[in-house]
Amino acid sequence: MKRILIVEDEDALCLLYKEELTQEGYAVTTAGNAEEALSALKREPFDLIVTDIRMPGRDGVELITEIMGLRKDIPIIINTAYQSYKQDFMTWAADAYVVKSSSLVELKSKIKEILDR
Amino acid sequence: MIERFSFLAPNFQSQEPRELALLSIISQSFFQPFSIEDNLLVILTALTSGSGVGFNRAMLFRTDGDKLRGEAWLGPRSAEEAKTIWEVLSTPGIGYIEIIEHNRWLLTRQSESLSQIVKPLVYSLSQDNLTIPATSAARKEMLLVQNARQEPLIDPKFLAAIGVEEFLCVPLYARDEIMGLIILDNAYTKRPIESKDIKLASLCGLMAGNYMYATLLHNKMIEMERLAALGEMAVFITHQLRNPLTTIGGFTDQLLTNRIGEAKKRRNLEIIRKEIRRLEDVVTKLALFLKVDVRKTVPFDLKSTLLGVVQNPDLTMKNGGIEVYLDIEERLPNVLGDPTYVGEAFRNLIANAMEATAPGGRVTVQGGREDQNWVVICIQDTGKGMPPSVRDKLFSPFFSTKDKGMGLGLLFVKRVMDASGGRIEVESEVGRGSLFRLFFRSGQERSAEA
Repeated sequence: MKRILIVEDEDALCLLYKEELTQEGYAVTTAGNAEEALSALKREPFDLIVTDIRMPGRDGVELITEIMGLRKDIPIIINTAYQSYKQDFMTWAADAYVVKSSSLVELKSKIKEILDR
Repeated sequence: MIERFSFLAPNFQSQEPRELALLSIISQSFFQPFSIEDNLLVILTALTSGSGVGFNRAMLFRTDGDKLRGEAWLGPRSAEEAKTIWEVLSTPGIGYIEIIEHNRWLLTRQSESLSQIVKPLVYSLSQDNLTIPATSAARKEMLLVQNARQEPLIDPKFLAAIGVEEFLCVPLYARDEIMGLIILDNAYTKRPIESKDIKLASLCGLMAGNYMYATLLHNKMIEMERLAALGEMAVFITHQLRNPLTTIGGFTDQLLTNRIGEAKKRRNLEIIRKEIRRLEDVVTKLALFLKVDVRKTVPFDLKSTLLGVVQNPDLTMKNGGIEVYLDIEERLPNVLGDPTYVGEAFRNLIANAMEATAPGGRVTVQGGREDQNWVVICIQDTGKGMPPSVRDKLFSPFFSTKDKGMGLGLLFVKRVMDASGGRIEVESEVGRGSLFRLFFRSGQERSAEA
């Protein structure tokens, strides 16, 4: 079973992603901020990280930078409300950039695409 | 010994050189919040009035892209009218306010005014075979034209409009930017234009050019700031709306599948309702923020406004063991502002202070006279305080230290204070707490009940 780490500061979204991705057959761990995410990464292995950018405390940019130093092999999907950062991130950090939307179809298909590689 | 002088009211006496009085009137008018049109007309009047240089008429062209457009022509329409106007404008002690009023009256008169003659005159500054007067602006040269009818370089339409043999072209520019052109003549007195007239006119031209350039830059800056703020706001609103929308969409999709139990259905509906309330809150806060546009300020009583805020159940309900002390000086004069917005600003600040303070701490609201003209309200907490990096960004739009903060609260407070003609100051120390000081202008004295 593929393991996904969701990094998202909104509780309701964490719950939604966990339920929906578990339904799709993934093992899902959620983290509410960068610190929680890093300790989860040290604790257990993951096949994919889905992270928000703007979060209180250390934000997603710092998290990605740190993960890149820690676990270069894990693919990352950025999942954010900000359309405008897309160009900045695709060039250096993430394997995919999905803007948050009222439908989870795109996020699910990107996750499948990356994990099926 | 130190003596203080106001440079905005130098009060020139009649025995002093009239050139000084002229420059004084022009520079004072630039300090006033009059429109650029009004202020340019002050220059034209100063150039034409008896107390100024004493030209009979002044014509103004302004650049508009690569075009030079006739805009205004100031002066009497006849020798008789000239006499009365010059008498009025030569009155000792006349200032820019009287001049602006006079100009507005002059320009709003019937359509046969001089300005109607100059408005159809438009020149392209980029073409090769320029004629006078456009040459003067394009080459940034002052030109004194004599025997105009024998001069082939003058545009015939312009010559027909001005109808005199001698006139002076003064280009208006700053740095490399051509701002316009002033043309001066002595149509009624027929007095020849002398070298001292030219010197003074050139000085006025320099001042006008620089003033127009500064105004242009200022307007450009405001426009850029507005666009930047709009961009920031768009990004921010996107974020504030997209998160709840994603949640609502996801949980609604779950509701629409058949595989969902009653308990989960109810949970989803509760989450959806919560997110909708959040969206509503964003809209309400944004609307309140955008609405602040207080132009009319009224005298009002700060103490009763503050009591209304502190005793409001909404605020006291959130009071988790934090005491709010209110200590307002007796017989405090009324202050100027919009009481509703000021009340909302106090509510914002006091709620923030309470949030920053741990249970057992206290929030103090003190009020008193700063001096004869100012009343100050201090809102102080014993909370966690702010580092300088946070304090410096406090009034930036969409800056927030709270998880779900909109970053509009303190900006709102600042806008309310600006609109009231007051100001706000912040002191803060990490671990010690913060102090917000709000300065209000004193309004009229308290009524009889005080």
